[in-house]
Amino acid sequence: MGEGVNRAVNRTRVAAPMHSSVNWALLGLIIERPSYAYELAQRFERTYGSALSLSSVSHAYTALGTLKDRELIEELPGTRGGRQPKPHYRATGKGLTDYHERLIGEVAEERKRQQVFLLQLTALTRDPGKAMQIIGDYEQACLTETCTTGIATGGGDPASAADPSRALQARLIAEEKRLAIAAKISWARYARSELKALAAARANGRGSGAQANGQTGGQRPSAQTGERADERGSQR
Amino acid sequence: MSLLELRHVCKRSTRGGGRSRLVLDDATMSIDAGELVAVWGLRGSGRTMLRVATGIDAPDAGSVHFDGRDLRTHGERILGREIGYCQSTPRGAPGQAAIEEVIVGLLVNGVSPSDARARAHEVLARVEGGSLGARRLSELDRDERVRLAIAHALALEPRLLVIDEPVAGVELHQRDAILLLLRSLADEQGLAVLISVGDLTGLSGADQAFTLGDGELRGSPKPELAPVLELRPAIGLRASG
Repeated sequence: MGEGVNRAVNRTRVAAPMHSSVNWALLGLIIERPSYAYELAQRFERTYGSALSLSSVSHAYTALGTLKDRELIEELPGTRGGRQPKPHYRATGKGLTDYHERLIGEVAEERKRQQVFLLQLTALTRDPGKAMQIIGDYEQACLTETCTTGIATGGGDPASAADPSRALQARLIAEEKRLAIAAKISWARYARSELKALAAARANGRGSGAQANGQTGGQRPSAQTGERADERGSQR
Repeated sequence: MSLLELRHVCKRSTRGGGRSRLVLDDATMSIDAGELVAVWGLRGSGRTMLRVATGIDAPDAGSVHFDGRDLRTHGERILGREIGYCQSTPRGAPGQAAIEEVIVGLLVNGVSPSDARARAHEVLARVEGGSLGARRLSELDRDERVRLAIAHALALEPRLLVIDEPVAGVELHQRDAILLLLRSLADEQGLAVLISVGDLTGLSGADQAFTLGDGELRGSPKPELAPVLELRPAIGLRASG
């Protein structure tokens, strides 16, 4: 009876979507290179550093169990032999497909998180002065963040030379971070120009929103820069 | 005392048709030796700011001080010597060898021809542009022109290096090499480096980053020195310089 319950629990677990970032990250490492639990745990620490952490090596064993139950990975035949068996795991076809879908799904998740943040922020627009101050601080935080984004450079580092995929990974992360912060700064500038116009309109006793800003047709600020399109055109 | 200080600077810039716009409104900032500072501004406002910061243009209000000296009164002696302003468009004829561009800059400053040549080789090597020397100016790519401009300014051993848009028009994979060069000039030679950028990604790796718009100079508080990551695999990439 106990076994029956376990199977039922297992089926329920397998049917539900897998939310654990650690599990997905581990699957990614297996896709990158099939390996065994201890080596995967070490690679996990090296790759994800402070972004994600395993509570212990046994956490890796648990995660591998889940991935196996969900048929996302399978044992490589012939790796369980010897005095100290080290079963190696590789991704299944389902594992590859699900991992791909998970990555694509992250775009929507990220967008949702950003939307919630913006809704919280724009809830403050009843007080344009306060909102401008917050957005100004937000922009400042982005500028500080951009300073700490490293400059990605050409070759020369022995670790990168030994493992080009790690170098590429680090480079992709740095570039994504730079572009993301740049977009946030552009947005902050745009938001401030909108709020400035709103504050001015209120001071003049006019309405609110785009109508009050007098921003119609070609005069609407660019979503990218907060500057008017005609002015951007003559930038340089 | 900082090396360069802008104190409550205001500057209007006049454009065609006599229209003017406020580029700097009560702008205050400071740069220390060994710092890389980047300013992002639209419509040439970054360039105007650099011209004011170097004493080429005087502020309408406020003051700019270099090592405690007001640039309004001491600017002529400081610019070109202690402040190196990089011109990314070479002054020489298109057929001229790149090294001549550096040599001429030294000769007009009273350096002997033999010393000038030796110094030119030295600074071209420093900017990883050793192989540029013999090439014609017309043959240089955008990033090579930037390296040459930096070498030209470095030849006179400035304490502050100023460059307008060093990464504009530079291919993506060369962009970081230029930023790294500027970073290394600050870190290894203790130079203060001030750049304007037209693309926000050019702010990365700076010790201080600013945006400039509607006269407002908004900046980051000075963070700890930015890390330099060795990231790019050498495979398949053109060697710089």
